[in-house]
Amino acid sequence: MNVTFLPLAQTALTLSSPMIWGIGLGAAGLALRLAPQVAWRKLGLLASLIGIALIGVALPPLGDLLPQVLFWLMATLAVVASGAAVTSRSPVYAAIWFAVSLLGTAGLFLLQGAHFLGIATIVVYAGAIVVTFLFVLMLAQPEGHSPYDRISWAGFAIPIATMGVALVLGTLIGSLPEFSPVAMPEKILHEAHVARLGNELFAKHLVSVEVVGTILLVALVGAIAIVIQGNPRRKTETREGVTER
Amino acid sequence: MNEAALLQNYLVVGGLLFGIGLLGFIVRRNLIVMFLCAEMMLQGVSVSAIAFGRYHDDWGGQMLVLFIIAVAAAEAAIALALILMLYHKSGTLDMAFWQDLREEGQPAFIDHGVPEERAEDRVWPTLTPAGVEPAVDQEEQLHRSKV
Repeated sequence: MNVTFLPLAQTALTLSSPMIWGIGLGAAGLALRLAPQVAWRKLGLLASLIGIALIGVALPPLGDLLPQVLFWLMATLAVVASGAAVTSRSPVYAAIWFAVSLLGTAGLFLLQGAHFLGIATIVVYAGAIVVTFLFVLMLAQPEGHSPYDRISWAGFAIPIATMGVALVLGTLIGSLPEFSPVAMPEKILHEAHVARLGNELFAKHLVSVEVVGTILLVALVGAIAIVIQGNPRRKTETREGVTER
Repeated sequence: MNEAALLQNYLVVGGLLFGIGLLGFIVRRNLIVMFLCAEMMLQGVSVSAIAFGRYHDDWGGQMLVLFIIAVAAAEAAIALALILMLYHKSGTLDMAFWQDLREEGQPAFIDHGVPEERAEDRVWPTLTPAGVEPAVDQEEQLHRSKV
């Protein structure tokens, strides 16, 4: 399928759809939220919440009540928390909002029947990666607030970036095709879900598992090498004389 | 449950996460927050991949997400080590510090109108004092060695 962007955008960005309005309002809200003025930031919060509500109205209903409510809860949590992570000025708050957003994403994974991945997301991301973020923040920015967190690149950076992202996102979401209905997935939603996942992982993707293990090892060695090389060389006195280490 | 609607909802949420992460990556200047936004983009991709995997009743989506998580962990280790190194060299997490690497003859980027830090942001949280201060037993002080 050979589709270029501009004709696709022309067909996708119709002003009659609440989805497009929602994305536009949400993007405008995010842009205002990044502004330095306090009043603008409050307005931005309002606009982005209205935008999220509009997007939610435009989404097709799931059919059952309980998954619908859970989806609403988790999706709102994930999107609102990620917006807050991007716009909060203190990087510590940004990292904590990112962890909250990860909780929402893990809930979405659980709702899809991906139980192992939901737990793995919480354990690996929220448990390890976000904590590493906080450690690095503690090491590198102990004073907390800094002027470069309160300002972006230049005056026009925020509106242009927001408009670009909103255009691309609106085109992509607006041009989603009608998906043909399928039956309930039986392989994924099997009751022995994790056993099936492990079977698939270690039978079909065994080489990939080995490669990922190697990548993790190389990353570990590389991180240690990078950090050690940065330290200034220290002279140590031994019995043989002064040596450089 | 309507599987097609489920897929569409998840694609929209994944797209929103990706877009918010992309916006933050472009707009923010703190190295750590930029990296965090890149992780958020990976989250958006993961949501979409899992939704596609369920729609097609295939394990491929979940496998991809599993490997994304592993690679993200490796990436976090390397990138945060690099950020620490850059911090040791520059003393700041500001991305604009590295504009020294720009091409010769290009004008420098200078900040205009950096907003002042608000007074309420300068206040740091304190622990509320709790409990009662124990009464000092004078007699005990006499025979107990000070630790």
